[in-house]
Amino acid sequence: MKDLHHSKQQASTNYQYTSGLTRRESLKWLGVLSASLVLPSIIGCTSKQREVRTGIGSLQGHWPELKLPAITASGYGKDPSLIMPIRAPWGKTLTGEQLTLVAVLSDILVPRDGNVPSASEVNVPDVIDEWVSAPYVRQQNDRLVILSGLQWIDDESQLRFKQTFTQLTNSQQIQIVDDIAYSDKEVPNEFVNIVSAFSVFRKLVLAAFFCTPEGTKDLGYIGNIPIIGDYPGPTEEAMAHLNLKIQELGL
Amino acid sequence: MESFNYEVIVVGSGAGGAMAAYTLTKAGRKVLLLEAGRDYDPKKETPMFKRKGEAPLMGAGNIDKNFGFYDATVDGGWTVPDEPYTSAEGTDFRWWRARMLGGRTNHWGRFSLRFSEHDFKGKSRDGLGADWPFEYEDIAPWYDKTEALVGVCGTNTGLDDMPDSGEGILQPPPKPRVPELLVAAAAKTLGIPTAPMHRAVLTRPLDDRQACFNATNCGYGCSIGAAFQTTTSLLPMAKATGNLQIITDAMVKSIDVNDAGKVTGLSYVDKTTSNEIKLDAKVVILAASACESARLLLNSKNKHHPNGLANSSGQVGKNIMDSTGANIYAHIPALENRPIYNEDGNTSNHLFIPWWGHKMQTNGELEFARGYHFEIGTGFKEPGASVGGDLQGYGKNLKSQVKKYYGASVGFALRGEMLPNKNCYMEIDPIVKDKWGIPVSKFHWKWSQQELKQVEHGLKTGKAILEKMGATFDQPLPKPEDAILKGGEIIHEVGSTRMGDSAAESVTNQYGQTWDCDNLFVMDAGVFASNPHKNCTLTIMTLAMRNATWLSEQLNKGEL
Repeated sequence: MKDLHHSKQQASTNYQYTSGLTRRESLKWLGVLSASLVLPSIIGCTSKQREVRTGIGSLQGHWPELKLPAITASGYGKDPSLIMPIRAPWGKTLTGEQLTLVAVLSDILVPRDGNVPSASEVNVPDVIDEWVSAPYVRQQNDRLVILSGLQWIDDESQLRFKQTFTQLTNSQQIQIVDDIAYSDKEVPNEFVNIVSAFSVFRKLVLAAFFCTPEGTKDLGYIGNIPIIGDYPGPTEEAMAHLNLKIQELGL
Repeated sequence: MESFNYEVIVVGSGAGGAMAAYTLTKAGRKVLLLEAGRDYDPKKETPMFKRKGEAPLMGAGNIDKNFGFYDATVDGGWTVPDEPYTSAEGTDFRWWRARMLGGRTNHWGRFSLRFSEHDFKGKSRDGLGADWPFEYEDIAPWYDKTEALVGVCGTNTGLDDMPDSGEGILQPPPKPRVPELLVAAAAKTLGIPTAPMHRAVLTRPLDDRQACFNATNCGYGCSIGAAFQTTTSLLPMAKATGNLQIITDAMVKSIDVNDAGKVTGLSYVDKTTSNEIKLDAKVVILAASACESARLLLNSKNKHHPNGLANSSGQVGKNIMDSTGANIYAHIPALENRPIYNEDGNTSNHLFIPWWGHKMQTNGELEFARGYHFEIGTGFKEPGASVGGDLQGYGKNLKSQVKKYYGASVGFALRGEMLPNKNCYMEIDPIVKDKWGIPVSKFHWKWSQQELKQVEHGLKTGKAILEKMGATFDQPLPKPEDAILKGGEIIHEVGSTRMGDSAAESVTNQYGQTWDCDNLFVMDAGVFASNPHKNCTLTIMTLAMRNATWLSEQLNKGEL
């Protein structure tokens, strides 16, 4: 049995992720958002199903063939201010529904853990949105993978439970996630694509989480502070651990 | 410029140009320095203590900022807007440029290893490439002076591949980190040494520069001046003499000569206005980077120099060498869940693996002629856009996997000596010009078996060390031709205007003075006769200091 730590928002079918943008940033993006309304919606996709039978677990492979409009915005260029970085200068492209789905999935991956916030609590979905909306090659590749994965998850939810993923109960959500979150066991054919896409999404969520001050603290990184004078080197505890390992390895 | 009566024009403000300007201005010479990029002030522009999470895309690299958002490089990288270069069919060469005051010294690795007599006399030993036109002893005092001025931390190891510095010259190195000590223990069982890396990072204050405070990646630049860059050291010090003036956004287009074929000055494009401006000069020093200086010479054809200026030997643009590069890394189970402490240090490797194969090569035990070293990559690093490990599942268990893997991988970056070969050179593209109307460089590149055999040996050795540390490899090693990085990717391209003993086979004499024009000098890595594996910048600066001193003496004598 896997961990089940869900924040209470996810239990509500009315949950909507609220972007962590400041008001100033939100105002700035109003213009971008209204401009993007003229673009064809990325929701307008076809979901190709090779074979669909009724009953959980009997679904054969389906994979959405998304026709995503090209991201035509510019990047930040070769001389951006490094002192006052501008986040996502290319504008963001995820819909409210997609952001909420990203939030729910992010919190399944990184739930609240005692005092440590969940992924959505530290605005990980905003970082995912910045990432998949960016005009660079790596992000454009990830965009197709991740948006296809999100669509697959909603398609799968519809096929299994006749509802979108965010409307499912926690245990229904976990039924699906359990099928797609493991590549270290034999993966049935119908899950090969989604297992791979989910893995990309998972790493991105983890990166975005651990890049926040709360996530960095949780990971244990304690650098990026000035140490005046000579670098102190390893602690006694760290050296004791090393010496034990050197002994165990016979070095 | 009417009021500033300069004698020497220096083209380029990076390692070579800034050192030349510093040396000459300290000697009382008036110098005008031209830089193709914009003005840049690390004190105001360096993102000290900025977290990756504050940057767009968690600081990840892309075509705009190849080495990540915070990399100090301005208007450069593998591409420069409006300033393309081309490649011959089948060539995949990368050319890193910076368009900023201080050039590439603003982001370099600061690795500062001396070349040795062994390095300078490779051809005498194995018949390959070219010897340098001097002995190590001629250069050793200049290495001492350069290291003292630049500020280099490290130790004298007595190893055959690491010549000692003069007593008291090196600053103390930082203590090694846990994974580096594990590498040292494992390598020792294979007879392979480790040593403190020599880096141009202060561990003691020097002039107006502070000692490293063990935080903030050196590649971001260093506002406190601890990590050496010319913009916090040589350039302000030269300016303080009152003998230096700098013009930025000045892209030099051609070197001008008189009817006798002697250099009279140069022409540059003011990038802010696109106007072309002519300047007179008694002496011109090119330090625009190896390939940019070669491009300038090849583009400066005239009736006296029909194949390009200072190219009677036909060697301008030839003999280009990069360092070889390859990476191998592994997860080390023994480092899982180890006690956490601050491993930032000077943000680069504190220990490295110097080349240990002199005897093996002498005994003919190796299938390649020249050496390499390993830089060690490891530590509890600041989280960024990539999360490593074969991660499974979700929730608490997922997080504990990430924590288990954190700080538990070790990588070796191989940097090796490449030999010059006839397939690696640049010429001027007959068609393509940049935005300023200047014909661009066209590169040709092909590794030889020397480099491939060396990389093959390095990968096997790296694997053996990692296995001693407890790593397991479920995949075979990649073929060397797949593992070797692309030409130019290590950003150590040198040799395009090599120095030598004879005008027939080299472009300059041992002082960087071109054989064909006595008032034209080259003081960047173009003059390298070979490319030892030890990173080029310290030697660029050392030669520039020595050669600018010699130049000044010639001016005193009324020569030139």
